[in-house]
Amino acid sequence: MLEIQSARKVFYKGQADEKIALDGLNLSLKTGEFGVVIGSNGAGKSSMLNAISGSLVLDSGKVLINGDDVTPMPVHKRAARLARVFQDPMRGTAASMTVAENMLLADLRASKRTLRPGLNATRLASYKERLAVLGLGLENRLNTKVELLSGGQRQSLSLIMAVGGSPELLLLDEHTAALDPRTADIVMQATIRTVEALKLTTLMVTHNMQHAVDFGDRVIMLDAGKMRLEIAGEEKANVTVTDLIGHFSVKTDRMLLAS
Amino acid sequence: MGFFETTLASFVALIPVTLAQSLILSFVVLGIMIPFRMLSFPDLTSEGAFPLGGCVCGVLLAAGASPLVGIAVALLAGFLAGCCTAYIHLRFRIHSLLAGILIMTMLYSVNLRIMGRSNLSVFGNPTVFDWVPGMQPGFPPSKIVVAGLISLLVLALLYFFFKTEKGTAVRAVGSNPDMAEAQGINVWAATIGGIGLAGAFSAGSGALMVQSQGFADVNMGLGILINGLAALMIGEAITGKQTVLRQLAAPFVGAIVYYQLVSLCLAAGMPPPDLKLATGLFVLTMLALPSLKLSRGPAAAKETFRE
Repeated sequence: MLEIQSARKVFYKGQADEKIALDGLNLSLKTGEFGVVIGSNGAGKSSMLNAISGSLVLDSGKVLINGDDVTPMPVHKRAARLARVFQDPMRGTAASMTVAENMLLADLRASKRTLRPGLNATRLASYKERLAVLGLGLENRLNTKVELLSGGQRQSLSLIMAVGGSPELLLLDEHTAALDPRTADIVMQATIRTVEALKLTTLMVTHNMQHAVDFGDRVIMLDAGKMRLEIAGEEKANVTVTDLIGHFSVKTDRMLLAS
Repeated sequence: MGFFETTLASFVALIPVTLAQSLILSFVVLGIMIPFRMLSFPDLTSEGAFPLGGCVCGVLLAAGASPLVGIAVALLAGFLAGCCTAYIHLRFRIHSLLAGILIMTMLYSVNLRIMGRSNLSVFGNPTVFDWVPGMQPGFPPSKIVVAGLISLLVLALLYFFFKTEKGTAVRAVGSNPDMAEAQGINVWAATIGGIGLAGAFSAGSGALMVQSQGFADVNMGLGILINGLAALMIGEAITGKQTVLRQLAAPFVGAIVYYQLVSLCLAAGMPPPDLKLATGLFVLTMLALPSLKLSRGPAAAKETFRE
């Protein structure tokens, strides 16, 4: 379970270009729930994910994962509980290391790293099996350096790395936005399959309204660092892309009037 | 005898001495390689850590300490110097090169304070090179045996370490720190530890050098960094850097080849004062080569493609 309690973050405080990224944001996600976050640029989506993962320190407010306050924890401590797939395929993997070594790094996310040899036959076999699920042939390229893989392959690898060990929370940060439509589809299908199979608590940020309509239990729309709209249950089941875009345009009109 | 024969004769005569020297200095090259290649942390601390190790070891030897104690304390001092550089960089967000220059410059004073003067003779004191059975102490073969054995041991240990769970994590920090952090790796600990380890190798090299040459001098590190870089470039050109083993072997192979090349140049009559210029130009060429290649068609196209 994820809870964000009145999270507030202001950039460039007291300066002319002061920017309120999170303005008392409240959000809660039940265990096993799949939340889809939408919102225009600058709405606070990335700030929210960064606040959850720990790379953004909140001015005030709290982040709780399964009831434990993780607000004071640095990124590497929170990593034991959550996993994240970034928008940029380059960010989620270590380019100069092999596929197997990247899998190993993710495999030990929640455990203490020892002075025992990292890769062994058991681990390699299990990585092979987990990568085979993708159907991209990555299972036969365990010793290939990740920098030689395509963006789609890297992003698929990031996904498999993230869902390994069933993290308490999975953060997907526009993870298909940088991919071509076909690859994006493959990665998205793999995401949905694993999230459903492992019943992961997931928060996905997306600019793809079709994804927001098709996937997830709840759509959350952020605006100016606050939650603007929440669509769940029956309403979520019947929502259309046009409806969602409608909510954006209202906001745009208001912005036009205000300016 | 013609020019060629004279050059060859004096070069061949110097091979054992040069080999002994290069094996000792290969640890500095290692201390330069680890930050640069394993941690993507361009670091200059070795220029100060090398004489630091020498001075610490010199003072201890002069005070009658065992040569092993001298090396151990030198390693510790170098480790601390490396840790300081890494900490300055991480905590105050000072560029790693500037952090290294700061530490290196401050170490000059520290080294003078440690010795109390600018040089110290420890000639005749026991050294680790005395312990090779059946060999006259102080001669190149015993140095080659001792330094060579330590090189092999260090190479094996490092290879093993970088393949462990912890070692893989350290390499991830060098490859992609954001990713490493997101995978639960403490980037600070890995960086400080890794740069500290590199400093320890540089200082250990200085300590061995002092035992080998019989004196310690605060200026003994002058230009060691650029020599080390040149050696590393040569080593990587020979061994490659595709695997951990090749990358780790590069400093040792490079040091051995580089110092023989220097010896050959000197034997051929190159004036020693020109050596640093020549080395600098060599390093510049090696560093410039990839970008010269990149400026041609296909490589630039690849960069556009990546976006």
